[in-house]
Amino acid sequence: MSDVYLQALISGLMIGGVYALVAVGLTLIFGVMDIINFAHGEFLMFGMYAAYFASVLLGVDPYMTAVLALPLFFALGWAVQATLIRPVVGKSHAIQILLTLGLSLLMQALAQYLFSADFQSLKLDYAAATMQIAGTRVGWTRVAAFAISMGLCLALWLFLQRTDTGKALRACAEEHEGSLAVGIDLRRMYKIAFGLGIACVAIAGITMTPFLYVAPVIGPKFTLVAFVIVVLGGLGNIPGAVAGALIVGVVESVGALVMPSPSLKDLAVYVLFILVLLFRPQGLFGSRGA
Amino acid sequence: MSLFEAEGVTKRFGGLTAVSAVDFRVEAGEIVGLIGPNGAGKTTFFNVISGFLKPDEGDVRFEGASILGHKPSDICKRGMTRTFQIVKPFAEMTVTDNVLVGAFNHRRDAGRAREKAREVLALVGLEPQADKLGSELTVGGRKRVELAKALATEPKLMLLDEVMAGLTPSEVAGMIEVLGRVRDAGVTMVIVEHVMQVIMNLSDRIYVLHHGVAISEGTPEQIIADPEVTKAYLGDSFLAEPGTAPSGEAPRP
Amino acid sequence: MSRLRVNPFYLVVLALLLGLPLVAESETVEAVMPLGLTGPALLHVFVLIFFFGFMSQAWNIVGGFAGQLSIGHAAFFGIGAYVSTVCYVQFGLSPWFGMLVAAAVTGAFGAGLGLVSFHYGLRGPFFALVTVAFAEITRLVLLHWDYVGAANGILLPFSPEPTFWQFQFRDKEPYYYIALVMMLCSIGLVAWIARSRFGYYLHAIRQDEDAAEAVGVPTKRCKIQAIALSAALAGMGGTFYAQYTQYIVPDDMVVGRVSVEILLGAVIGGAGTVMGPIVGAFILIPVGEATRVIFEGGGTGVSLSALIASDLPFGEKFLTYLDYLAAGGGGGLAIILYGVLLMAVVLGMPGGVLPWLAGLRKRFGRSADRRADRGTGGSRP
Repeated sequence: MSDVYLQALISGLMIGGVYALVAVGLTLIFGVMDIINFAHGEFLMFGMYAAYFASVLLGVDPYMTAVLALPLFFALGWAVQATLIRPVVGKSHAIQILLTLGLSLLMQALAQYLFSADFQSLKLDYAAATMQIAGTRVGWTRVAAFAISMGLCLALWLFLQRTDTGKALRACAEEHEGSLAVGIDLRRMYKIAFGLGIACVAIAGITMTPFLYVAPVIGPKFTLVAFVIVVLGGLGNIPGAVAGALIVGVVESVGALVMPSPSLKDLAVYVLFILVLLFRPQGLFGSRGA
Repeated sequence: MSLFEAEGVTKRFGGLTAVSAVDFRVEAGEIVGLIGPNGAGKTTFFNVISGFLKPDEGDVRFEGASILGHKPSDICKRGMTRTFQIVKPFAEMTVTDNVLVGAFNHRRDAGRAREKAREVLALVGLEPQADKLGSELTVGGRKRVELAKALATEPKLMLLDEVMAGLTPSEVAGMIEVLGRVRDAGVTMVIVEHVMQVIMNLSDRIYVLHHGVAISEGTPEQIIADPEVTKAYLGDSFLAEPGTAPSGEAPRP
Repeated sequence: MSRLRVNPFYLVVLALLLGLPLVAESETVEAVMPLGLTGPALLHVFVLIFFFGFMSQAWNIVGGFAGQLSIGHAAFFGIGAYVSTVCYVQFGLSPWFGMLVAAAVTGAFGAGLGLVSFHYGLRGPFFALVTVAFAEITRLVLLHWDYVGAANGILLPFSPEPTFWQFQFRDKEPYYYIALVMMLCSIGLVAWIARSRFGYYLHAIRQDEDAAEAVGVPTKRCKIQAIALSAALAGMGGTFYAQYTQYIVPDDMVVGRVSVEILLGAVIGGAGTVMGPIVGAFILIPVGEATRVIFEGGGTGVSLSALIASDLPFGEKFLTYLDYLAAGGGGGLAIILYGVLLMAVVLGMPGGVLPWLAGLRKRFGRSADRRADRGTGGSRP
């Protein structure tokens, strides 16, 4: 394997780790509430803006913001679920799609109004630092983003496996009526799931702020990528989403090499997406599906 | 040649054989009943012969030609229609428009299709509710719409999946009357039914399915006399419910 | 019911619209319209209304009637614009014919997308996602294809003495009437569909595909026909847009925001109804344009990036920022309003405005009118 491909493989895995956290948030919301959140990427965008402004205005380091973001964005997700999403739980998919699409439109335009359409990026002292992995140089901030995201995915998975609330969430995902029958407060579970999902995607955004620009229009790309991953990994399947995310990360960064222009890298991801939807809608792993 | 034949139909789900080598035949003009205790494979068999499921073995022929692998809409075009046990009226359409969708099966022109729809509405006694929305109907009304939609496609053979389930005794009696009129109009029918009164009153012949196997076939009298059937099915539920005696003494509305 | 009944209200509006350009610069209009919205500026707003009404109506066929939620119609719109423009710029084909070529090409794309999606049984959110992915792929391809100008797009050659065949006009009036006719044609087409077997079939598919299939509706074929027709119309809309703005560029046309704007009119007015998309466009565009004119004035001339980087004390920075917001911030207020409207309609009147009005009328007992919208009314699932 030549050096460029090794480089692409490693940087693909790094970004794939972040995508995993984005997708895990989406799949948690889908699994528990059966709602597809088309505004997912916009929460990521707001996470990035939070980190950006905290850094340039208040001098707060993005990694510090990531810690603070957990309760903040959890609360935001909780509130959005309690007000906007709750009325459409259990309604037709068309209604849910249109509602979250409206939310996505609103958040994009709100960001444009508040933060302008300009592309912003952080200039941090440590942004250029690199480290050696398997003989190639990788940006330190990318490794950090990967580590934080994977750590959070693992934490979330443990939370779902080990804690009572986590088990209740999984019960909701398995069987709605059943969980109601054993006394689980569905409404509370929905709020927790949405809050967690939003916190995940926002933190994923924050970890990327040191090396990625932010603008109001960046959200939809991440929403679509998260869908690609979730479909690859099987809906509602967290380990599957992590595996799917790493695949998508690699496809994307190798795609940047293979395609005539690096900015065509997303094309490879979308084509992969359509192929998976058509030929293996239950995902690449396992049979839990739509 | 029979109007409809199923030959050696077998359907498995994983390791489970839901329907095993069933032979089934319907002659033009007949009403054929299909009964069996819960879990006997009736629904699976019904889905196979109506073209919604593909059998693992065997053949299903309508008017001599195999319908395997054909879409339900194609089968409907050829003259064979089904109804659903869990009725599916188009909730946002009026009763007339529901029936109209079926009537378009052989009539492209909206005016002529509407004539057919009116005719069918009169036949099933839905005229008073013609302008109601599908979502506004009672269970009885929805069952009739289901029947009317199927009838409007002008079928030669109609497969009815538990049209009586969930109806009150007076609604059952009304529905039996309607089915009688449908028979008089020359439509051949296969009726899957739990309510014995319907089967016994209407059927010319009856098939009994048990554990996926056709254990008996014959006229209502023969079926009642068959000890196998009594053991498998009638012993449990039929004889225990004197209220649904086969003598036809249905409560009249 | 095969007789076409037209609400007299719509006829009055039509008569007014036909006459509007004649009086657009009159003193009466100047007296009535706020913000000096007269003459060409006024006509421009109406061109936008007609255009979005037309696009929404195109979407309505597949998204409303057949209930297959497409969130990628910007792709058909963009492809249509590029096809006719390339035909004109490279081969000198009149955009009038180019429009037909565009319709054929986008119709084929629509049919292909439908064939693939529906053959594999994609439904609901999965179909929606495929349309999003299709639009993104289209945008990326256009963005990197040098033959069509890549990221710079195509500037249509300006002709000083435009002729009819060039589909270029110095004044707004011809565009106004062309857009109006296109919108009227789309209404006529959809009204005809609504009363035909095809329309009933689409309605049935939207409500329950299995039930429709059982009574003889060839669901797959109908859905493919619906998306092909819808895409063909959207492609024609693309040609009009290209000729009207004289400049096409992927990042303005084939983006998610445009896809949403296309479906917005139909969803707000009433998806699956004949007049819903038009009513939706007549609500949306004026609201959006008014917001732009009123709140997105000149701005304070402050660049946010410069403000952030400046050495001002925190409090002063904040006050300057408030001024910045008061002067319209970075723009986007109209879109904020669109988003709010979309959510409000979904939560408050899920079928859209027209079915909601029909419901009100029914509740207040004027049941005699009920039959008027039959076969065309109804709300989204």
